[in-house]
Amino acid sequence: MTAGERRRLVGSMRPEDAERVPELHEVDVPDDLRERIQSAMSKYPQLRSAAIPALWAVQRHYGWCTPEGMRQAAAVMGVTPAYLESIATFYDLFRTTPVGHRQVLVCHNISCWMRGADDLLRAFCEAAGADPHAADHGGATSEDGEIFVKGFECLGGCDVAPMASIDERYYGPLSPDDARAAVEQLRSGAEVLPDRALGKRQAAGGPEPEPDPRVAATEAGGSG
Amino acid sequence: MASETRVLFRHVDEPGLASIETYRRLGGYRSLERTLKELEPDELLTTLEESGLRGRGGAGFSMGKKASFLPRGDMDKFLCCNADESEPGTFKDRELMQKNPHQLIEGIAIAAIAAGAGWAFIFIRGEYAEMGDVLDRAVEEAYGAGYLGEGILGSACRVEVVVHRGAGAYICGEETALLDSLEGKRGNPRLKPPFPAIQGLYGGPTLINNVETLSNVPHIVANGADWFKGFGTEQSPGTKVVSVSGCVERPGNYEVELGIPSRELIYELAGGPPGGREVKAWFPGGSSAPVLTAAELDLPYSFEAMADAGSMLGSGAIIVADESVSIPQLALRTARFYHHESCGKCTPCREGTNWTVKMLERVISGEATPMDLDIVASVQDNIIGNCLCVLGDSMAMPVGSMVKKFRDEFEAAIEAGKASAPRPLDESAADTRPVALGVS
Amino acid sequence: MAAREDVTLVVDGVEVTAPEGMMLVDAAKHGDVEIPVFCYEPKLGQPVGACRMCLVEVEGIPKLQTACSTPVRDGMVVYTQTDQVKEAQNAVVEFLLVNHPLDCPVCDKGGECPLQDISMGWGPGRSRMIDPKRHFQKPIPLSPLIKIDRERCILCYRCVRFSQEVAEDEQLQLLERSASSYVGTFDDRPYIAPFHGNIIELCPVGALTSDAYRFRARPWDIEDSGTVCTLCPSQCNIKLTVRNERAERVLARDNSAVDDGWLCDKGRFGYQMIASPDRITEPLVRSGGELHPASWEEALEAAAAGLRAAGARTAGIVGGQSSNEEGYLVQRILRRALGSPHVESRATGGLPASQRAGGQGDGGALRQDLIALSLPELGASVRDLDGAESILVLGTDPIHSMPILDLRIRKVVRRNGARLAVATDHPSALDGGAEETARYEPGFAGGFLAALAGELGADGYERADGELGADAERIAGVLKPGSTVIVCGDFEGPPSSLLACARALRAEEDGAGLIEAPDGANGRGLREVGCLPVAGTGLSSVDQGLDASGIGGGLADGGIEAALLLNVDPVRDFGAALGDSLGNAEFVVAASMFENSSTRHADVVLPAEAYAEKEGTVTHPDGRLQRLRQGIPHPGRVRPMWEVLAELSALLGDETGIDSAPEALAAIADEVPFYAGITPEEIGGLGVRWQDREAASRFPRDETGAAGTHGARPQDVPTRGVGTSSLTSPAAPDDAGLLLGTYRDLWAAEATEKSRALRFLLPRQTLELAPADAERLEVEGGDEVEVRSNGSVVRARAAVRERIRPGSGFLIEGLGDAARALRGELADVVKAEASE
Repeated sequence: MTAGERRRLVGSMRPEDAERVPELHEVDVPDDLRERIQSAMSKYPQLRSAAIPALWAVQRHYGWCTPEGMRQAAAVMGVTPAYLESIATFYDLFRTTPVGHRQVLVCHNISCWMRGADDLLRAFCEAAGADPHAADHGGATSEDGEIFVKGFECLGGCDVAPMASIDERYYGPLSPDDARAAVEQLRSGAEVLPDRALGKRQAAGGPEPEPDPRVAATEAGGSG
Repeated sequence: MASETRVLFRHVDEPGLASIETYRRLGGYRSLERTLKELEPDELLTTLEESGLRGRGGAGFSMGKKASFLPRGDMDKFLCCNADESEPGTFKDRELMQKNPHQLIEGIAIAAIAAGAGWAFIFIRGEYAEMGDVLDRAVEEAYGAGYLGEGILGSACRVEVVVHRGAGAYICGEETALLDSLEGKRGNPRLKPPFPAIQGLYGGPTLINNVETLSNVPHIVANGADWFKGFGTEQSPGTKVVSVSGCVERPGNYEVELGIPSRELIYELAGGPPGGREVKAWFPGGSSAPVLTAAELDLPYSFEAMADAGSMLGSGAIIVADESVSIPQLALRTARFYHHESCGKCTPCREGTNWTVKMLERVISGEATPMDLDIVASVQDNIIGNCLCVLGDSMAMPVGSMVKKFRDEFEAAIEAGKASAPRPLDESAADTRPVALGVS
Repeated sequence: MAAREDVTLVVDGVEVTAPEGMMLVDAAKHGDVEIPVFCYEPKLGQPVGACRMCLVEVEGIPKLQTACSTPVRDGMVVYTQTDQVKEAQNAVVEFLLVNHPLDCPVCDKGGECPLQDISMGWGPGRSRMIDPKRHFQKPIPLSPLIKIDRERCILCYRCVRFSQEVAEDEQLQLLERSASSYVGTFDDRPYIAPFHGNIIELCPVGALTSDAYRFRARPWDIEDSGTVCTLCPSQCNIKLTVRNERAERVLARDNSAVDDGWLCDKGRFGYQMIASPDRITEPLVRSGGELHPASWEEALEAAAAGLRAAGARTAGIVGGQSSNEEGYLVQRILRRALGSPHVESRATGGLPASQRAGGQGDGGALRQDLIALSLPELGASVRDLDGAESILVLGTDPIHSMPILDLRIRKVVRRNGARLAVATDHPSALDGGAEETARYEPGFAGGFLAALAGELGADGYERADGELGADAERIAGVLKPGSTVIVCGDFEGPPSSLLACARALRAEEDGAGLIEAPDGANGRGLREVGCLPVAGTGLSSVDQGLDASGIGGGLADGGIEAALLLNVDPVRDFGAALGDSLGNAEFVVAASMFENSSTRHADVVLPAEAYAEKEGTVTHPDGRLQRLRQGIPHPGRVRPMWEVLAELSALLGDETGIDSAPEALAAIADEVPFYAGITPEEIGGLGVRWQDREAASRFPRDETGAAGTHGARPQDVPTRGVGTSSLTSPAAPDDAGLLLGTYRDLWAAEATEKSRALRFLLPRQTLELAPADAERLEVEGGDEVEVRSNGSVVRARAAVRERIRPGSGFLIEGLGDAARALRGELADVVKAEASE
C-alpha cells in the first residue's frame, strides 16, 4: 500500500483489529483445506512442524498463499497469521503474490548457465509473454495471467542442463525451441515435452556394467 | 580405462526397482531382517564406525561416530534423513531416491534402530516433488510389509517415517537449519554447541544423515566393515556417487571408488569438455569448494587429497569450467547463489554476500578498479570464520579462490568493461579549482 | 535454589571469578572487560549469536567464539585484544554499516545509540562500501505508537524475539530472507499489543522509535528521574526523561524483583496525561452552582467547614493511585478529626454479596480474613514466581489487572517449565500456555474455590459433583503443594475458601504463596495504612464503617452527609450507583487531577498531583514498599497532597505535626507496626519488602494466637438464586438471556483518555459471548446490541469468542456506563436499533 493508505489504515486502527490467533468461527475454511491441514498436524510430534505442509495446502488450494488463506490455516493450527507469513516469505517455492498457475522454474545456476540457461530463460519469457528481467529477479507472470516464469537456483538437474521444472516435473536438456514448444503445450493442455522428461532418463554411465568382483561375491552369497 | 564401481547404483535402471517386490527380489530388506534377528544396536554402531563410512552430504564426518554420540536411555530420539540436496552441481541423492527408494528406507530403518530413534523424518527439498511422490509410495509399501511402524517384523522396535517436503531454501541442508525448518520455523541455523546429537529436533537427541550415507548402511550391515573398507582409500573408504556437470560431454552421476584420479572421472567417465576444449577451473565438491585448476586434475578424488589441495570433496559434485567460461562471470554467478540463499541471520554472511555481489557486478559492468578486487578479497577473508554457519564460508572460499587464482582475468574484465562503461567527464572541461567559502 | 559454583578464568591476562555457566560476555565484566554486543539480551532468553559482534578468542579453539553464548568454565583463557579479534570486530562493524543509512543527524537514537558507540569503539573508522544500499519505505508506522525505519534495522532479532518469546503475541515477525529480510507484521497491518512499546527500548538502533517522542529531545538535553508508575498494581519502576521540566518519555528502570525491565504501554505512554490541558491546576470552590478558582486558604477553610458540619457522617474514598501518605492522612482525618469509621479504597471484594446493599455484616471476621491473607509467610514475592513449579491464576487476567505479571508468568512457564493452571470466569490471555483451564460462571469464584478446597482436602470442605467437581480435580492435578504460587484477583466472596486452598497447597512454605492483584495500583498499601472500613492502620481493629456500596446507600438515604474523595472517579471505579448518589450529599470535597464524576457534585475541588510530581511511598501487591520521587515541578498552583491533607487535618482539629513527606512516612511507620522504622533511605531505589524486615514479626496475628488454623466457613459461599446448594453448579440461565460478568479492561482508564497517544485504545463497550449463544440469540460479531436487566441498559458491540463459557456474557467495566450494575445479573440481549 502507499504511504498515505498506510497512514490512514494505522490511524483508523482499533485494539480489536490486532491480528491475533484467528478463531475458527471468524474464518471460512473450506473443508478439504482444513482436513489436509489437520491431517498434516497429526503426523508430527509437535503441531508447528505442520506449518510448511499447511502452507503447501493453502497454495495448492488457492494458487498462491493468499492472506485469507494464511488466516484460515492459522485458525486451524491455532497460530497467528504473521507467523505463517514469516514462514511463507522465507522459502522460494511459496508465493505470496498472485501468480500464473502454470509454473515454469528455469535453473540459472552454474552448470545450467554454462550450457545456455540465460538464453533458455529468455526464450521461455518471450514465448509466454513475461518480462525477462522480472523473471530473473523473483519471477514474472505472463500477460494473460496463465504462466509464471522464474529464474531459479540449482534444482538438482545438472545432468540435463540447461533444464527447467515445469509444473513440478523436471525437463532437460532444453533448447529455446523446446521452450517455445513447452509453452504451447502448457497453453493447449497437451503433454509437456515427453521426450525431455527426466523421469525416463537412464543413468549416465550407460547400461549396467559387469558387477565389480567384490560386489559379485556378495551377491553370490560369499563374503560378509 | 576407468569404470564405475556400482554398489548403491547396482541395478539402478532395473525396471520396477522402486517397488518393494523388485527390491526384495534383488536381495533387499535382508539387512533389516538380519538387524532385527541377530544384531544389537551397539554391534551395529561398532560396525558402522569400523567401516569408516564418512558423511556423504558434504561434511565428511564419520557416520558411526556421529551415531554413537546420541545418549543411551529411554527418551524420544529422532533420525533425520537430509534429502535437501541443494548444493549446486549435486544431483546424486535425486537419482538414488527416484530409482531406489527402498535402499534408502532400509538404511533409515537400520540406522534408526542403531541409534534408538523412534521417529525418522525424510526432509526432501520441495523442488523434488516427483521424487517425493516416489518416496511416499515406497514408504507406504514398507509400512504395508511391516518394515516400518510399530513392532517391525514382530520385534519390539518401532520406527515411524514421515516424508516432509521442504519449500525451497538451500540453507535447510545445513543440519541445524534443517531442524529449525522441520520444527516449523524459518530455516535459520543454530549455535553449536549444543550439538544435534544431544539437543536436536524438539530438543531431543537427533541423528542427521545424508541420503547417500544412509543408502550405504544396508550394504555395510550385509557385508561387514572390512568389506566396505576394501573399497576406496584408507581415509576415504567405500564408493561415492559423484555428480559431474558443467562443461562435459556426458554430465551425470557416476559411482566410483574413492581415490580414483579426478582426471578419469572428468575425462573418461564424463567425456571431458566438449569440442576438445581444456579444463580451466573445476569445483571438486559443489560450488562451495575452492576451485582447482587443470594442474590438480591428477589428484586422487578423495576427502584427504582434496583437503590437502586446499579444497574439499564436499558433496561429491564436480562442476567443470572450460576455456570458454569467463571466471569473473562464474564468480558472480556463484556469489549470487549464496546471496540469494543466505538466511540473513548473521551479519557477515548477510551483508558480505550482498556486498560481494554488488562489487562483482561492477567488475563486470566496468565500473570497478583493481582496488575493488583487493576489497573483494578482503571481504571474503572477513567472512571466513566469523559466521554462524558455513554458508558464508561457502561463498567466500570459492570466490576468494577465483579472485586469487585468476586475478588477471578479473583485471582484464575490468579493463574490457571500461570500454563499454559510461564515459567519465572530460576532465579538461571541468573546473576543478577549490571553492573558497563565503565567495559567491 | 543452590548457588552456582564460582569458577576462575583468565581474560586478557587478568584472573576473573564468575559463577559457572555464566556467559562470557557477562563474566568478562567482572574483570572490567567490555565485549560489545547487539543481539545479546538476557531478558529475551537464550542467546542467538546472530550479530557476531562479540567474537573473542578462546584458547584451544581455532575459530573465534561468540562470547554471548559461551558459558565460562574453570581455567578458560580468553583474549579480546588480539589482532584476529580486532579484525573480526572491525569486519562486523563494517558489515553492519554496509546497508545502514547515515541517518544520525535526523535519527532519534543518536546520542544514546549502541551502534554509534560500538562503531566508535570497535569499528575500523571508515567503510570501503561505495555501492548503493538497500532501501525501504521509511519511516512507516508500525503501530500508532511506534515508527519503523527498516533501512536502519541491523536485524538483531530483539524485537521479533520479544514478540514471540516474551509477550508471545507473535504479531511481529521477520519476513523474506537474506539481505532483503525485514521486520514486519501480517499483511503489513499495524502491531497492536499492550507490551509492544518495549521494542523501542530493545532496539539498539533507531529503527523502532516512539512516535510520541519523535524529535522531542536529544540525549544531552535531558535528565533522568527515577520513580514508580502508579497506573496499575504492577508498580513498575520507571525513569522519567525530563526536558525543560516536562516529562517527555518514560523508560524502564529494570527492577528484577518487580518488572524484569519491561513496561506496559499504558505506563510507557500514559505520562502524556500529566501535561494534559484538561488538568485541574488550582483549587475550585462552588458558588452559585458553578465552580470558581479560589485561593488555597479559601478552599481549605471551606472544605474544613463543610466536613466539620457533617462530622461522623462523612465518608472517605481513596482512589487506587493514591500514595500511602495520602491514604494514611485521609483515614486519619476521617477517624480522628471527624470521628467517622467510613473509609474505603476497594471497589470489589470485601463483604459477601449477600451482605451488601447497606448491611453491616461481620467486619471483624473479614478483618481476620484479611490478616490471614496478608500473613508474611503466606505471601509470595514476584521473585518467587521464578522458582515456582506450578502457578494458579485465579479470578483475574493479569494482562488487564497487573500486566507485568502476565509477562513474568509466561517467562516462567516457557523457560522453567512451570505448570500453569487458570481458573477464571472470563477467558484469560494465559489460557494458551495453561495446562488446565477452568471456566466457572461469572462471579462464581467463591464456589469454585470451595470446590477446589474440597478437592485439595481442606478441612470442612467437600468435593463437588458434576462439572464443577471435574474442573476442580483437573486444576488441582496441576498444582504442587509447597511449590505453587497463586495469583488471584479481587472477587466477590469471602476469602475463607481462598485461604483454605492456600493452606492446603502449603503456601506458607518458602517460595510458594499468594500474590493478590488488587483493584487499585496501591491497593495493598492503602489497605495496610488503614483505608478500609473494617481495619485501621496496620490492619488494627476499629469500629466498623460502611463499605463502598454501603456508602452509596448511606448517601441515598441521608445516613451519610458528606464525602471526601481522593484520586477517584466514582462512576468509573465504583459504578453508577455510588456516583449518582453523590448528588444527594450535603457536601463533597474532591481531590482530583481531572474533572470527573467526583468533581461533578463537589463543593470544593482540590487539584491532585500526578505520580511524576509526588514524593511518597506505595506498597506493591507482594509487600514491597517503593518510593515515589518527584521528577517534575507541580503545574499551576498544585501543592503536594500530603501537605494539603495535613493542613486540612489541622483545620479540623487534629494537628499531625507532619512537615515533609518523610515525616508522613514516619507517622505511618509509627502506626503500622510491621512498617516500624521504615525510612525513604531504606526503601531506596529498588524498594524493600516489609516481610523481609525485622518489623515483620509485629504483624498482627489471629486473636486466638493460632495463625493458620483458620476454619472454613462454607456457608459463606455465595449462592445463586434461592435455595440452590452452594457446591453444585448454579442453574443455567433460561433461554433468552445470558449470565453477565464484567472485567476491567486495561485500557478502561483515565490515562488512556487523557493521553493523546493512547486514545485509540479506548475500549468500546463490547459484549463477549460464545458462538453457541451468538447463534441462539441470532447475533453476529460486530452487531450493536442492548443488554438489559433490572432497569439497567448497556449498549454494546457483540464479539464472539470461543473460550467464553456458554450461557455467560461479559461487558467491560470502567467505561462509565451501567455495566457494573449488570454484573451477576441474568440479562436479556437484543439487537439494537440503528443509532441516530
